[in-house]
Amino acid sequence: MYRRALTWLLRQTVKLDVYINRIYPSDWNPLYYTGGLAHFFLFVLVLSGILLFFYYVASLDGAYASIRYLSEAVPYGFLLRGLHRYAADGFMVAVLLHLFRNWFTDRYLFARDGPWISGMFLLILGGFVGVNGYQLVWDQRAQAVTEIFVAILGALPLAGPALVRLFLGSEGISAAMLPRILFLHVGVASFLYVLLWWHYVRLRHPKIWPPATWVLLLLGVLVLLSALPGTRPTAGVPAQPGVRVTSYPLDVFFLLPFWLASYLPPGLVGAGLAGVLLLGYIIPYLRREDESRMGPRHAGVAQVIDGNCTGCELCYYDCPYDAIVMVPSPHPGLTKAAANRKLLAVVIDSRCVECGICVGACPFQALELPRFLEADLRRRIAEAVGAQAPA
Amino acid sequence: MKVIGFVCDWAVSTEGLVDARGELRAYPGVHIVRIPCSGFMRPDWLEESLRAGADGAFVTGCPYGDCLNREGNYLMRDRMEQLARRLQRRRVDPGRVAMFAHGLHDREAFLAQVGAFLRRLESLPRPAARPVRPAVGAAAGEAAE
Repeated sequence: MYRRALTWLLRQTVKLDVYINRIYPSDWNPLYYTGGLAHFFLFVLVLSGILLFFYYVASLDGAYASIRYLSEAVPYGFLLRGLHRYAADGFMVAVLLHLFRNWFTDRYLFARDGPWISGMFLLILGGFVGVNGYQLVWDQRAQAVTEIFVAILGALPLAGPALVRLFLGSEGISAAMLPRILFLHVGVASFLYVLLWWHYVRLRHPKIWPPATWVLLLLGVLVLLSALPGTRPTAGVPAQPGVRVTSYPLDVFFLLPFWLASYLPPGLVGAGLAGVLLLGYIIPYLRREDESRMGPRHAGVAQVIDGNCTGCELCYYDCPYDAIVMVPSPHPGLTKAAANRKLLAVVIDSRCVECGICVGACPFQALELPRFLEADLRRRIAEAVGAQAPA
Repeated sequence: MKVIGFVCDWAVSTEGLVDARGELRAYPGVHIVRIPCSGFMRPDWLEESLRAGADGAFVTGCPYGDCLNREGNYLMRDRMEQLARRLQRRRVDPGRVAMFAHGLHDREAFLAQVGAFLRRLESLPRPAARPVRPAVGAAAGEAAE
């Protein structure tokens, strides 16, 4: 069931590209750059966030007033705030597109589980930072979000009440809270870059930046959204502890669980959210196809033929996953190539995705995929040529 | 006309296009070999296909930017350029090899491009007679040139 659904989704995802590629040159297809788009939005977030930090006052009395001062009295302050708001939404959209596209097109297979796991951490912490951002404004929405968040956190068995106290800094909402949230917002956002290092570490040339056309277009859209009176982030109603908040504007990309919490008990929402996210971590280990039916797509981890390797480094430069390292040639080899080389290529099994790009890179027949040997391919070439009677 | 097409298994689907002998129904004589990634092709194998008697050989990868292995089709495109220069030095017409990029669903575009490739091959001058050599297990090299 899961497998058939995923195969269907794979076909639909790739079919979508067919239509998009009719509009743009395929190099500009935004769906080929979802990761780069997310990174672009993160960059805008960091820059605007640093500037916002100069104006923000992390106290119960000062927070709302400082935001209001920024958006109404500071020249272009509303633009700064709008950029931060809409870039956050763009980040979440790009990250979710990135997740679903890579899920549906099998880009989690074999050694690609490292980027997948780090990506799940990035998604969770990115969402957490976004929710924190809504709390920092300290208007009625922030108050409602904080109350629901505390209720979800408190519903955790055993550790719940202690975590709530840690998060709030005291019993109930007090002056200790906003500095903590500010630290979580900035600190965890900085930690995203540590996770990004993990996300990129096995990729030889990661596409971390979309084409300039898209950067300029999206920057324009962000500026328009932040500046137009209809979409400009407005000052809500300031928070009043003790007053029960009955309605607040919803941001579907970050606050959806909080919306659910007004219909379901907070414990259930927390458990459901945790369940969905945990399932996300299992995705790379649930395969769409049986390994036996994958044919050339599962040809085995590349193997170096020691006697043929001349240490020329061509495979090392071409491997897109940094799965090949060059080590000092460990012994005077018996073959001519081995005796004269300085380096030997070694494939790191845990990084190899079985694509065979190194086989194509090697002019010395020193690499093989175990289940798709060069001899097999040559036999098939001979069959193809000999299968027909000469014309 | 004998042509060998090496098609990435993630790229255009040839299910239903290929008969029991592995040849395209629309263009008999075009033999399809599925490979793990277009970047898996060693350019020597294309040259060897020509040497063994094929009139042409092509590689099909995913659309540029969408390689499942991130860079396979770009790398193959570069290698094909190098191969074309090498073939020219060896007095083989580089028009006999080609690189295509088609996604899973681009079957019509793929067939159309194969058709165009076949017409191009027909228009090329017949290759000069080369010494006949056994194809299987033959030493890959150019000693006989």
